[in-house]
Amino acid sequence: MRGRRPIALVAALACIAALGIATAAVTLDDFGRVLAAIPIVNEARVMAAFELGLKSSCCGFPVSETYRLLERLAAVSGSAADKEAIVLAITQAIEQGIPVDSLLNKAFEGLARAVPLAPLGQLLEQRLRLLLESRDLFYSRGIFRASPGASVAAGATALQPSQFDGLLSNFGDALGDYLESGGSPFEGQQIYDGVHERLTQLSGTVLTTSDVDLVFSRIEPTDLTQVVLAALR
Amino acid sequence: MTLDARDPLDELLRETLRQDVAAAADSLGRLEERVMESLGERLPKRGILGNLKALAAPTRGGRWGQLAVVGATAAAFLLVGTLLGDRLPFGRHKEPLLLGAVPAAATKSVASRSSAENGVLFILPALNARVVSVVGSFSEWEPVPLSDDDGDGIWTTEIPLPPGRYEYAFIIDGRWWGQDPSADEYIRSFGEYSSVRYVGGGGDGA
Repeated sequence: MRGRRPIALVAALACIAALGIATAAVTLDDFGRVLAAIPIVNEARVMAAFELGLKSSCCGFPVSETYRLLERLAAVSGSAADKEAIVLAITQAIEQGIPVDSLLNKAFEGLARAVPLAPLGQLLEQRLRLLLESRDLFYSRGIFRASPGASVAAGATALQPSQFDGLLSNFGDALGDYLESGGSPFEGQQIYDGVHERLTQLSGTVLTTSDVDLVFSRIEPTDLTQVVLAALR
Repeated sequence: MTLDARDPLDELLRETLRQDVAAAADSLGRLEERVMESLGERLPKRGILGNLKALAAPTRGGRWGQLAVVGATAAAFLLVGTLLGDRLPFGRHKEPLLLGAVPAAATKSVASRSSAENGVLFILPALNARVVSVVGSFSEWEPVPLSDDDGDGIWTTEIPLPPGRYEYAFIIDGRWWGQDPSADEYIRSFGEYSSVRYVGGGGDGA
């Protein structure tokens, strides 16, 4: 019986490895084919966004993950309009320069849980609004995303792109988790504590401690209430 | 009819319940022991060097026993150094061995090894389950199977994960279960619970 343990480990590794299929293998034509299989009305807009994403794949656009999400969307049953709403949420994030990894994660989870496509699309739109509002908050407090490749001077508030995206992604995601857990937008301190806990846990590993400290030195609990309310409008 | 008259059907129900409770208690009796035994088997065996590194590794809580061992070792080194100092090529004028220097150096190698490996163990006691898997943000919510090699009802799998935050849930015979006791936190997602584990950071995941 013990002989099955290595087999299970190999199977687990294979599952993870299968997800890491080379990003370079996915082309714009592949996106075109899978979009045609959904199908969607705003194909030109979506293709333009994905082309933009492919060109900037050096800076964090998860090409293969996005492609696999579209494949799964094409495979599930449901109305094309509902599927398109999901695709458009991702598209808009790419257009706006918002990191899409947290949106993709929620979409994958929703499909795996067989959540109806219409509420799944609405949830992704709300998450996107939270990310946009969070970014506006960062900008209003002088925390910016440095241009790719540009050097960042010590003490400056233009963060490295990957760091900024990581912060924004986790920040917006924490707000979304709070709302979906039934939290009130008026409990600013509670929201603040949740976001603080999450970013602190990631501090020193995927996020730089100084960047996390910077965010919390410039953001107050009341800011988070305003961000959440703006996203809910 | 008196109030204390026993209905045969009532008696039958009571007896059935008693048997059910006894059966459940029997099956769960040694569950905790078996989980700990299973964990013990699955944890990697350390050699002498590994044990020394483990002693020097940082911990979240205070481990007075470890501190005592490290302190005693440092004191022994200091004593030997004091006695032999004049007879060795590097005399007393050299920098003394500081108490913090030994664990700091050892800690660095242990920590980097840990962050490079990050094999995260997912373990779930699920008696009488036929198929158990884990889904999560690390697998795009596609099932990764768990195995129960010895049929003791304790299902495990180890997944190599880079540092980060991972949401996940178990699927037991097709039913989702998102409240892993070993999770760092829980969130509500789509009206259901999901577990969260932090790997390589402040959580216990790594």
